Amino acid sequence: MKTTMSHKKMERISTWFKFIILLVFGALLIAPFVWMISVGFDKTANVTMPFPPKLIPEQISGFNYGIVFENGRLIQSYMNSAIVTVSSVLISVSASLMAGYAFSKGTFKGKKFLFILVLCTLMIPMEPRLIPLYKLFNSVDLLNTFWPLILPPIINGMLIFLCKQFFDQLPDTLREAAQIDGAGEFKIFFKVYFPLSGPIAATMVILAFIWSWNDFMWPLVVLNDQELHTVPLYLASFSLENGTSLGGLTMALATVSILPIVVVYLFLQRYIIQSIALSGVKGE
Amino acid sequence: MAKDSLDINVGPGAKSHANRDVQSIKQKKRKSQLTWYIFLIPSFLGILLFMAYPIFESLRLSFYQSNGTIENFTGLDNFKTVLTSGPFWNSVWNTFFIGIFQIIITIPLGFIFASLINSTPKGQNFFKVIYFLPNVTSIVAAAMIFAFVLHPEMGIVNYLLDAAGLPTPSWLSEPSTAKWGVILLAVWHWIGFVIIICLANLQAISPEMYEAAKIDGASGLQQWLFITIPNMAGTFAFLLITGWIGAMQRFNEVYVLGGPNGSPARSIQTMGAFIYERGFTGFEFGIASAATYIMFVIILIFTFLNLKISNMKL
Repeated sequence: MKTTMSHKKMERISTWFKFIILLVFGALLIAPFVWMISVGFDKTANVTMPFPPKLIPEQISGFNYGIVFENGRLIQSYMNSAIVTVSSVLISVSASLMAGYAFSKGTFKGKKFLFILVLCTLMIPMEPRLIPLYKLFNSVDLLNTFWPLILPPIINGMLIFLCKQFFDQLPDTLREAAQIDGAGEFKIFFKVYFPLSGPIAATMVILAFIWSWNDFMWPLVVLNDQELHTVPLYLASFSLENGTSLGGLTMALATVSILPIVVVYLFLQRYIIQSIALSGVKGE
Repeated sequence: MAKDSLDINVGPGAKSHANRDVQSIKQKKRKSQLTWYIFLIPSFLGILLFMAYPIFESLRLSFYQSNGTIENFTGLDNFKTVLTSGPFWNSVWNTFFIGIFQIIITIPLGFIFASLINSTPKGQNFFKVIYFLPNVTSIVAAAMIFAFVLHPEMGIVNYLLDAAGLPTPSWLSEPSTAKWGVILLAVWHWIGFVIIICLANLQAISPEMYEAAKIDGASGLQQWLFITIPNMAGTFAFLLITGWIGAMQRFNEVYVLGGPNGSPARSIQTMGAFIYERGFTGFEFGIASAATYIMFVIILIFTFLNLKISNMKL
């Protein structure tokens, strides 16, 4: 009796111990964000950074935020990012749904070979493709437009793979029933399987959205015109121009730039975390 | 039963009828095969235009001296130039150094925290959300913030180190410590991903194994060592491989922190940054293409090695 009591007590202590370690480490991970928000509200941080660091600035001021919005370039870059991301997500998710469906339910010559080809694309990094793609879009006069950012994501091996896996789990009997009713392949896809693809479509949208929104190297190469800069490009140029001066302004800018994603993340965290986990678990 | 009924039907008339049926089925099949290819058209147009063509064009370019308009065939000169170039090997060294330390710090640490979260009855979801937050932040914004976080005099990291009585390095402002600054940023940004993947796979381990071990009197630590860790081998392999590929392509954060030449003194210039510098600030397309091919081969070799290493463990 006595030993089980002490055993329980030990367990409770270790639970609390783990909990506190998790809290402390979590606080360390979050600290840069807290500091960012605090400095962003400090007008004097543009001259000298507040030192020692304070949780709440001495003089709270919206000065930096005023400038960030007045400047207008951030809003512009937001619009650009939105156009690019929405279009590229739409294109890549629809193309991947179609391809994933064909690889799952289709019977045609060369299916296995073509699918292996798709998986091979997973191993091809952006760098070797950078210069030829640049030259390709240059030759059709599409540099400094959004097309180079919208079109190439149409092929995404990871999305096709996830999608095939999902359709593999749906029964073939649905197809057979529709076939008996005289439906063709397109009708079966759009009327039967597409409406069932909600969960995987949501996952794909989340993944494609994050990839497109955070893309940096390729936009940096194809968009020279400042007016067309996406959010990451604007941030990078601001950061390279000012270095570690203008602390308050930099932090206000960083806050405004990550706020929408953080808000979306907090609302959809369950689905976002699930999507990321799925891409990892299935990718094994 | 079915065979019987077939036998009964066999007669001269029935045979030609069956033949016609087979023919129309074949036709239908061919037609439906074509339909499947239509489903694949968008993706395979993408593969041809944006994957296959660039890969071969890049290989071709690597044998030419090219600035985009004038091209001269120079054979293997570009490869020779790159392979004997100090800055290139420096960028390889930087990429490997940052990548290796990012991986050997983040995977074990992330796994330990995933195990802690998994065994905590309270607040699992809360911790998941908090720990994954850095990963959803764009790496460009994160690098911007870290330029201040790691500032030698005004940053919070050195403030905390100083308060704890530890030495305060100059991080990103000195070549000898700049790589460690990038590693710290990389660990901070990647650990949430490692934790989420580990958690998902931890929860997939069958609980029966733990129950059996408990009956045999295994302690929590023993269960972790002898059941959890061996069962996670596949997950570690996945993280090692994807982490390594990602690390080899590191560009965004080093560009924000040190520009295309990775200042201070090229100490954080990665292979990606070297290619960008030669290709798009110097417009030496041939040399940059040769460098991308060398990088591509390096990634392939090490991915293959990683696969071998992790297979041996499995």
